[in-house]
Amino acid sequence: MSTEISHIRNFCIVAHIDHGKSTLADRMLELTHTVDSRAMRAQYLDRMDLERERGITIKAQAVRLLHEGYELNLIDTPGHVDFTYEVSRSLAACEGAILLVDAAQGLEAQTLANYHLARDAGLAIVPVLNKIDLPAAEPDQRADELGKLLDRDPDEILRVSAKSGEGVAELLQAVIEAVPAPTGDVDAPLQALIFDSAFDTYRGVITYVRVQAGQLPSNAKIKMFATHVTSEAEEAGVMAPEATPVDALGPGEVGYLVTGLKDVHQAKVGDTITLAGKTGAVEPLPGYREPKPMVWSGLFPADGSDYSDLREALDKLKLSDSALVYEPETSQALGFGFRVGFLGLLHMDIVRERLEREFDLELISTAPNVEFHVFKAEEESIVHNPAEMPPGGDYDRVEEPVVYATVITPSDYLGAVFELCQGRRGEMVDMEYLTPERVEVHYVLPLAEIVFDFFDQLKSRTRGYASLDYEPWGYQESKLVRVDVLLHGEPVDAFSSVVHRDKAYEYGKRMVERLRELIPRQLFDVAVQAAIGSKVIARETVKAKRKDVLAKCYGGDITRKRKLLETQKKGKERMRRVGKVDVPQDAFIAALRVDEKAKR
Amino acid sequence: MTDAGIYLHVPFCITRCGYCDFNAYAGLDELKPRYLQALLVEAELAAPGWEGTAFVSVFLGGGTPTTMAPADLRALLVHLRERFALADDAEVSIEANPDTVDVASLRALRDAGYDRLSMGAQSFDQAVLASLERIHQPASVRAAFSAARAAGYDNINLDLIYGTDGETTESWERTLRETIALAPEHISAYALTIEPATALGRQVAAGERPPPDPDVQADMFSIACELLGDAGYRHYEVSNWAKPGFECRHNLGYWERRPYVGLGAGAHAYRDDVRWWNVRPPEAYMDRVEAGELPIGGSESLDPSDAYLEEVFLKLRILEGVPASWFEPERYEAFVESGLLDDAFGQLVPTERGMLLLNELVLGLTA
Repeated sequence: MSTEISHIRNFCIVAHIDHGKSTLADRMLELTHTVDSRAMRAQYLDRMDLERERGITIKAQAVRLLHEGYELNLIDTPGHVDFTYEVSRSLAACEGAILLVDAAQGLEAQTLANYHLARDAGLAIVPVLNKIDLPAAEPDQRADELGKLLDRDPDEILRVSAKSGEGVAELLQAVIEAVPAPTGDVDAPLQALIFDSAFDTYRGVITYVRVQAGQLPSNAKIKMFATHVTSEAEEAGVMAPEATPVDALGPGEVGYLVTGLKDVHQAKVGDTITLAGKTGAVEPLPGYREPKPMVWSGLFPADGSDYSDLREALDKLKLSDSALVYEPETSQALGFGFRVGFLGLLHMDIVRERLEREFDLELISTAPNVEFHVFKAEEESIVHNPAEMPPGGDYDRVEEPVVYATVITPSDYLGAVFELCQGRRGEMVDMEYLTPERVEVHYVLPLAEIVFDFFDQLKSRTRGYASLDYEPWGYQESKLVRVDVLLHGEPVDAFSSVVHRDKAYEYGKRMVERLRELIPRQLFDVAVQAAIGSKVIARETVKAKRKDVLAKCYGGDITRKRKLLETQKKGKERMRRVGKVDVPQDAFIAALRVDEKAKR
Repeated sequence: MTDAGIYLHVPFCITRCGYCDFNAYAGLDELKPRYLQALLVEAELAAPGWEGTAFVSVFLGGGTPTTMAPADLRALLVHLRERFALADDAEVSIEANPDTVDVASLRALRDAGYDRLSMGAQSFDQAVLASLERIHQPASVRAAFSAARAAGYDNINLDLIYGTDGETTESWERTLRETIALAPEHISAYALTIEPATALGRQVAAGERPPPDPDVQADMFSIACELLGDAGYRHYEVSNWAKPGFECRHNLGYWERRPYVGLGAGAHAYRDDVRWWNVRPPEAYMDRVEAGELPIGGSESLDPSDAYLEEVFLKLRILEGVPASWFEPERYEAFVESGLLDDAFGQLVPTERGMLLLNELVLGLTA
């Protein structure tokens, strides 16, 4: 091995989006001469990913920096609440974390949540304030805030400007001093943690690994613990920052492995790689978890004849997305499609966007829902689709998933945050003032409430200042009911939803009002009803159409009018029929749209 | 071939009204002599293609044909009679706007052979006229109508428009009663339609003015059916009523799918499932004609399904109806049951409610 294990440092940067993580990485690449100054561009590592979309997909998940005789491995962490588990695996590959905080904006909820993860994983924390050269920076206040959180002297907290490079050399020095060297027996059986994986069209599944013990040679015959798959690995290497093959990765080292596998489901994040055969380890590393979908949505092709294309597209996406699960679903209203499970809202948006963009599919997706556990006479059934929920409360009890949510907000907006969380059936756990102006609040909230535009509401009620993070917190019993929507007496399965009993009326009213606007007038009055079982809770009427005729039709008009009729005919053909009622595609899309989309 | 019609288009107007998307222009008066000459030449170029066709009607539309001098219009008709086999008792209609005519000019036109006058009255409500950007007053309609009677016109149509922004059903009823009081032989009543490429269309798209309320227009249609029916007018097309025997023979030609020749800028012609049309801009039209060419801008051949669709929607418009035997019973039974179609001894004819939903009927029958 090129570097003594005592001279290796594995660390990550925990930061909120826009707090300067990529710029700091740029300065580190420069300062350590990892990237030639002539080749340097802003956001170097991020751009490598983008440019590689067209070439070989080796992400810069872990970049090796050589600095003053030390090998510093900077490991990237995903930056979204959907991927908390993936973050925890990246952290497990490190011994230390830089906690990077914008000196103007201060701590955000996600950073705090990731800090807790890092601390709980036993990582050494190097707190840093960034953007100290900004006019709006308040480094002293932020240092107090951080000092209090970390129980440290505020004067010890480093201050840098990732933009100018000021303080970055000192920061690297601090990493070398504060982050412990990895440990690991080079002669022990191989245990390598997969902290990320990617699928490359040419090279198959590439995993990013941290060797905990033993050696991972370049052409090893490997075995995955969780999936019991064996394979001939093709290449081990490090990112410096370009992919550079090595003979072997030793204990404490971080790099990539071209596994020789063709399906990412065989190399899951959190799994342990060892050598196949007798020389392999007996035990995997702790902490592996199967990816578990949290949010479900029905995806249907807008054009029913695209069903097989959608199936093929999902099959292909699955190769590169180990968290994606789906099963066929048939809707009376929307035809053949799939019920798809996602890690969260962002994951859902990513998948939908990829299906539409990369596979050129037009989709109708039902409103996202969570997984319900329905108990009846000691029998538990798991429901991913509101339409499968027993109607009219024909069960003993229902449980829904809840999350432990962290909100950080300026204290001015505390009232607004309380109001929102309370209105979303939240139970406050505790709260703490980070500084006199900023508060950290914890709530246990039903995931179903978060799935429904919670984040946008939080942003709009706090003028964008509050930040949110959450993690799964088990299941709890709730008074949930299934609300059906009926058109002219016919239930429309795609519009069924499971909501809390106290909110059923409000939900039903909103749906029927929205549908009244969206459903074109027919030749008869159409009743739009919301119902719980057989009890109607809201009703609107789409009045019968009375006039649809061309007023004038003389010599020159006839061609034009015939074409108008043909257009009208095509429009009618594209409509979907619910009982006797013609419903345009757009009405489904608009009615099922969650008011605002979840964003970072 | 028999019973064909001749349409002539005059694209000149005094002003351009906000709702109008016809091929009409204000401020092109200096083109009139050249345009008249072009019409005469085009008639000459087109006539050989219509040899052996008997014509039963002429319709001089626009635009505002009466913005041209009566002497010129007389010369035009004389020229047509020389070139086309026009029956002696042919119906010869001319469109007029109230402020463009007086007894003298109308008498001249009557003497020239224009025996049917179609006048753009639109409304007897000053506010409605203003909203439509019509330049005339309700009083000028009455004056022009009296002048026409004095000039000897015994076949007069008044055009009306209903459903303008701000017009109430009461106002519409007054307009109808005033119209009936004049006792024209023929009344056309059109629901205001917003055409995108008009000033009004742009205002509606921009949200500056509301689009017509289809339910209010439906009420107004019912009022028209009732009042005009009671006054002895027969409802013979969706938007047309006439005293018995005064149905417009020329317009019936369009709906009965009889042949017609079209002369002038943007005019359409039709024969044997082929439709063709002249170039629209007056300048381009004149240039082509002056070069000795037929100024055709485009054409279409109706395939059997196009022809079938036209047959159905046009025959339903004139209450002649279509034979039930053309359709599977499940296509029309629901319409008969719900009172949109009458099954009159195997002929499907729209009811009053059905006429208002004619598009639905056509789509339902031919789907």
